[in-house]
Amino acid sequence: MSNPSRSEGFSPAPPGSGDADPARAACVLLVDDIPSNLRVLYESLNGHDYRLLVANDGAQALAIAQRARPELVLLDIMMPDMDGFEVCRQLKAHGDTADIAVIFLSALDDAADKIHGLALGAVDYVTKPFHPQEVAARVAAHCKILRLERELGQRNRQLELVQGRILHSMVEGVLGLDAEGRARFVNPAAERLFGLRAEYLLARGLADWEPMRLRESARRVLAEQRELSLDEIALPRPDASTVPVEVRVAPVVDAGDAAGVVVVLRDLSERRRAQAKLDRTADELHRSHRELRAAQLQLMQAAKLESVGRLAAGVAHEVKNPLAIAQLGLDYLEQVAGADDVSCQVLTDMQQALARADTVVHGLLELSREHDLALRPGAINDALHNSLQLVRHELTRRQIGVCISLADDIPERPIDADKLQQAFLNLLINAMHAIARGGTLMIHSSLCALPSHELGPHARDAGFLAGDPVIRIAIEDTGPGIDPGDLDRLFDPYFTTKRQGEGTGLGLSVTHNIVRLHGGSVELFNRAAGGACALVLFPPEAAA
Amino acid sequence: MSKKKILLVDDEPALTRMLRLNLEQTGRFEVREENHGSQALRVVREFRPDLVFLDVMMPDIGGDEVAEQLKQDPALSGVRYAFLTAIVTKRETGAGAAEISGETFLAKPVKREELLAVVDELLGA
Repeated sequence: MSNPSRSEGFSPAPPGSGDADPARAACVLLVDDIPSNLRVLYESLNGHDYRLLVANDGAQALAIAQRARPELVLLDIMMPDMDGFEVCRQLKAHGDTADIAVIFLSALDDAADKIHGLALGAVDYVTKPFHPQEVAARVAAHCKILRLERELGQRNRQLELVQGRILHSMVEGVLGLDAEGRARFVNPAAERLFGLRAEYLLARGLADWEPMRLRESARRVLAEQRELSLDEIALPRPDASTVPVEVRVAPVVDAGDAAGVVVVLRDLSERRRAQAKLDRTADELHRSHRELRAAQLQLMQAAKLESVGRLAAGVAHEVKNPLAIAQLGLDYLEQVAGADDVSCQVLTDMQQALARADTVVHGLLELSREHDLALRPGAINDALHNSLQLVRHELTRRQIGVCISLADDIPERPIDADKLQQAFLNLLINAMHAIARGGTLMIHSSLCALPSHELGPHARDAGFLAGDPVIRIAIEDTGPGIDPGDLDRLFDPYFTTKRQGEGTGLGLSVTHNIVRLHGGSVELFNRAAGGACALVLFPPEAAA
Repeated sequence: MSKKKILLVDDEPALTRMLRLNLEQTGRFEVREENHGSQALRVVREFRPDLVFLDVMMPDIGGDEVAEQLKQDPALSGVRYAFLTAIVTKRETGAGAAEISGETFLAKPVKREELLAVVDELLGA
């Protein structure tokens, strides 16, 4: 590579170095193989506030251009080894030098050459012999153009930067589609929403946009030039999930023609989540309200039971003395009375009447006392079995069949065996009374997961959930079932459907109380197959 | 063999009468009734019963308190006590009498056979 300073006594200035600086004077490279031409050019431009570099062959010109990055090259076409066209081609072929403006210099005044030169990317053409003023004027004009272009470029870059930043930081996804519906621009939010990187989105044509409503909206906006909004569409993502988005499609108009559309996508997931949270909160509120109401009802029931209990204790005490007198009087009369049949029958009837009265009073006292349990580890099956023994005789007398299956895998748990026995006894007696002669009483116990259809209101109150492990006792009968109108009142103290003298109306409330004190629940319902079922549930472990 | 003496203390005269009739009917006991708890102390000292039936709840003084005072007297150390009550339920006393804190309780209404069984047990008959 030769140095321009060695070219036949012409060494105007040391070659420049470093990158083009927009603030300094424009740098112009003069390339000609004839020193006299170079001198003319140099003198034409010297003194006009340019930094001037010279080269006297193509290779040298390329080397200097590469290093000094002049804004402008005045390039002679006719040079040995490498002509100006080739230099220009090589300048334009390299990214570093492609922006350098080229003005061709030639003796040739040939339109074909000029066109060839301009086609190679030259900006202008000066023919020899040069007029210094013309050269200076053309160079000045092009430098001015270059400066303005540079400024414009900078301004544009700034604008793009600002716009880019705005689009980049927007929460909304933004897509720019051209008039054919091809994606020309996407911002990061759009990438996130679609779950695809920009290059995939930018490869999409109008037909590729999913779902159809989005595609059709873009098509319509392109056709009608009118903005369009979609309340909510589900944007499909590559992982088969969808994102709920609100969409606005606006036309982009350039000089009255449709240049494309801008699609703005707003993610609704957050709003959905907030809505879901709100719904959940509302649900919880409703549930708390229901629970509160249930608790209130239970309190009212408890208060009712307590006052009934107090009353019962008082009444029982008052009734027991007369009962005791009558009982002992009867016992005495049985010992001393004559053995005539009618008297014996009278005495027997009176004994039975007394026993019934005693049962009522006994029930009253039990009700007033169901507050504490004497808990000991025990088998619920045993309590069930023992209570069945107490009614065996009566069942046989009434010709009621018993079908019993007690699971042997039920763990022992703390129970008050006496009270449980009483609780079961009451249920057995109810079932027995409901069954007509020849019917069947079914008793079943098991350890199982609570089926959801058996989760009744009492079970819910006791804190059971569907699927919980439970000790499940079912006492079923083949009687007429429960009148649906009575279902709500079954557990009320003194509610009875039995004939006068047959029941106290306390059995179920006593049973309910005892079972509840064991952490369990009692539910009564009609069986699909007819008859009633008393379902008793206990947690396998006593509550701490 | 002389008849065992039993004192019945209850504020209900009809009840003590029925108890007495049943006991006397066996021909094995000498029975007295007292319907005022406050008089019981005096009557016990006077009558010297082998067994005293006491109603727990009486208007003037509770049967348990009467028994407590009588037990303080060394001269009465051989006397046995049984309580009649309307509060204890049958289930708590079991089939007949139940021992609650060392005492014998009979729940009202008492049947003749229960009464006699308790008496026999306490008097070691």
